[in-house]
Amino acid sequence: MKKIEAIVQPFKLEEVKEALKNIGIDGMTISEVRGHGRQKGHKEVYRGQEYNVDLLPKVKFELVVVDSRLDEVLDTITGAARSGRIGDGKIFVYDVGEAIRIRNGDRGDAAV
Amino acid sequence: MWAKRSEYGTGTGVTPQFDSQAYRPPDAQTKQSSPGEQRIRDSFFQSRSATEALEGRTALVDQLVRERWTWMPKNIALAAVGGYGRKELFPFSDIDLLILTPDEKAQAAIKEPLSMCLRDLWDKGLRISQSVHTPADCNHIDSGNAELAVSLLDRRFLAGDESLFHQIRDPRPDLGKNIAQLTKERHTRFQDTIYHLEPNVKDAPGGLRDLQVLRWLAKLGEAEGENPAGTERLFQIRCFLHYLAGRDDNKLSFERQDEIAELSGSPSPEHLMREYYRAARDIARIANRRLEAFEARRSTLFSQFRDRSSRLSNPDFTVLHGEVFLRSPTAIQNDPAVELRLFQFIAHHDLPLAANTARRLDEGKGNFEAWARSQAALWPQVRDVLKEPHAARALRAMHDCGALQAIFPELREIDALVIRDFYHRYTVDEHTLVAIQSIFDLRGKPGDSFGDLAVEADEIDLLTMALLFHDVGKGTPGEGHVTASVRVARGALLRVGMTEREWETVAFLIGAHLDMSSVMNGRDLSDPLTIRDMAAKAGTIERLKLLTLLTCADIGAVNPSALTPWRKQLLWNLYSATYSELTRELSARIKQPEREVNPSLRQFLEGLPPRYLRTHTEDEIAEHLRLEREGGHRGVHVSLKKSAAWVLTIVAGDRPYLFSATAAAISSFGFNILKVEAFSNARGTVIDTFTFADPARTLELNPSEKDDVVRTVTRAIRGEIALDVLLKRRPKVKPDAHAMAASRVSVDNQASPAATLIEMTAQDRPGLLYDVSSVISRRGVNIEVVLVDTEAKKAIDVFYVTRLGKKLGDEEAKDLADAISAVTRPPI
Repeated sequence: MKKIEAIVQPFKLEEVKEALKNIGIDGMTISEVRGHGRQKGHKEVYRGQEYNVDLLPKVKFELVVVDSRLDEVLDTITGAARSGRIGDGKIFVYDVGEAIRIRNGDRGDAAV
Repeated sequence: MWAKRSEYGTGTGVTPQFDSQAYRPPDAQTKQSSPGEQRIRDSFFQSRSATEALEGRTALVDQLVRERWTWMPKNIALAAVGGYGRKELFPFSDIDLLILTPDEKAQAAIKEPLSMCLRDLWDKGLRISQSVHTPADCNHIDSGNAELAVSLLDRRFLAGDESLFHQIRDPRPDLGKNIAQLTKERHTRFQDTIYHLEPNVKDAPGGLRDLQVLRWLAKLGEAEGENPAGTERLFQIRCFLHYLAGRDDNKLSFERQDEIAELSGSPSPEHLMREYYRAARDIARIANRRLEAFEARRSTLFSQFRDRSSRLSNPDFTVLHGEVFLRSPTAIQNDPAVELRLFQFIAHHDLPLAANTARRLDEGKGNFEAWARSQAALWPQVRDVLKEPHAARALRAMHDCGALQAIFPELREIDALVIRDFYHRYTVDEHTLVAIQSIFDLRGKPGDSFGDLAVEADEIDLLTMALLFHDVGKGTPGEGHVTASVRVARGALLRVGMTEREWETVAFLIGAHLDMSSVMNGRDLSDPLTIRDMAAKAGTIERLKLLTLLTCADIGAVNPSALTPWRKQLLWNLYSATYSELTRELSARIKQPEREVNPSLRQFLEGLPPRYLRTHTEDEIAEHLRLEREGGHRGVHVSLKKSAAWVLTIVAGDRPYLFSATAAAISSFGFNILKVEAFSNARGTVIDTFTFADPARTLELNPSEKDDVVRTVTRAIRGEIALDVLLKRRPKVKPDAHAMAASRVSVDNQASPAATLIEMTAQDRPGLLYDVSSVISRRGVNIEVVLVDTEAKKAIDVFYVTRLGKKLGDEEAKDLADAISAVTRPPI
């Protein structure tokens, strides 16, 4: 099992969600986050005054998938979230030790 | 609506045809229901009468308790207190008993028989909650046993030694203080709002507990007894809740909303909730009014304030205890226009209506409605209210007493209208009022970026109207709500006499009220195309500001946590990018007008920025063209008109110092320049619009002065008066230590292909614009386009300048910025 954490542009939220749904991935956690990567925010000029916008609004997807589907899911997210510009975001993949469905105690792949 | 239930979680397995005999709520099995209770329940499901059910259960419990009590010693007394005492025993409410003993010694003696008695009653299925006291205990109230004291207000003798019962004295009126305190704490637990998606019908504000508070205060002589409409409905809902859960459960969850709507014969859960909110709103309104009045009479801080506030009284209204009273009880009856002045008064002073005044408004409702219907144009009076700093408070008062609906009957469509999902916390009318309130709250938050916007926006009255009507179309299903809102608002606002020009702004705001949300959520804000579209949609900076505020207020009023910092940031990014786009657009030039126009107009428009077309009506443009033709290249034509502020328009051939001479002439009269737009077309005609305030009302009081202003400006432009003579007339200013820190000048040589852009933010003061513009003119630099705005004593100016038709060099531009920077600091 792998946990996928994808930070994407806010306006890509629906597109990514839809693309995942189309390949049969329904379970995910989505949160509104703010942060910056290499883009490091940028300078805005408003009324002649410069100010830094260092934390940019992004959307974070979190989902856990069985190993066999990992590549397919990563391709789907990458494809849907890409605009080709700076700030498109990043995807991180982690190993997951165990998954348990609280309702019935299912473990492992069955719980994902 | 049963099919919908699955949306809100798993059902309970209740069948649509409800059979109370067969129905056993899952957790009811632990309780043993006596045949008597069974009968009461069955008849409730038949008749749906809560009064019958409550009285029936009280009588049943009375009988059981009294029967058992005959075995008890004779020197003690038994009383019912709390809900049981007032004969309002809900199906699974605790039965509160008070056992009175003559003294403490007797308490030890009855311990054994009492516990046997209570056990027997428990075995009969009664949930007893008892307390043992002497009458002396009961008569001693401190904050520690306030709840006991409150429950004693509803005491009722049941059995035993009646003389003991009569030794309990009525509590002191200051018990009201404890009740107010407890109520406040309870309301805080529910965020002080009646609006919850799954309300607790007992404890939430506007619930049955609040109704009880009203009755208690009445018993203490602190308020008149009142029976708000919809009380019986709340009683009924609570009975259903108890029977469905089989316990004292008062939460009207989504699932229960479905079930109770069906059981009580309501057309839909939305309809049930609409009834619930109407009832809760009435109760909460009266309860809050009582508590506010109660607190006001007691608080010492308040009494200091009221001494000051009583000085605010005028011939129509008096202010007493910090509340507004009508001077004459029949004032509104005789002249309904007084009512609108009353709202303006509270909008100005931020004071609540006295309960007495609110009642008079209720009584005069029909009269006011007939009067409002007979008035051709109430918009000027409504606008007067909206221009006041606390207009949101007045609007809520107008809504509460029905005056707002009398003026705009269209609003009745959204009265307590429920949007039933997990996201919309408020009913549509409440959402509207919360949104309007948030605009006025923002204005009190300087430093917050949206707060600054709210202070700057100069058409708050139109924004408020747009918010009032933005969702009114939700009351007419079948049509998209945005289009429906625009249609309904148009009928309402033109009827009350809003001008076409004002309406255009309101129509724009309502029509576009979802646009910024959808752009910020669905489109790439770093894509120039997104921003260009948004800028084209907004058209002008003024409209963009209003739309941004409306969007911010609209999102925030969906539920208390909807406007996250994340969303605020996105909205702000969209706003500031669009703002920059609109500012940049000033340097664009009209080459081909969008529409087919006659050749002479096309030549006139050539070279003017697109903003000129957006900020002037066709009539004004035709007038400018006419003046240009009359005056030729050397003519100077000045005209002065009054709209919201004074507007001075100049159409003249371009010449050195034109701009600074005008600024100097205007400030020499002591007028305060608020806004300037200076444009020129390709053949060198300047069209400048100066908007200024006249704080001393000179022009209003002496109409002949208008000619003097026009003459002076014309002569100044022609160079017939020395500017330094004019400037001697200029009022002196005190230097302000903050001014230097506040001022800032920046140069942008990239923004525009044809001109250098200078942006300046500085502390405003009389003559500032002249000082700045003359620095520019003295260097032989030509001012092409100017946009001047003043906001909260801050001047924000954008100049597009050239020398001999070209951009300034980088060095020269920087020098100029430094020179401007120097004059923005006032002489010390």
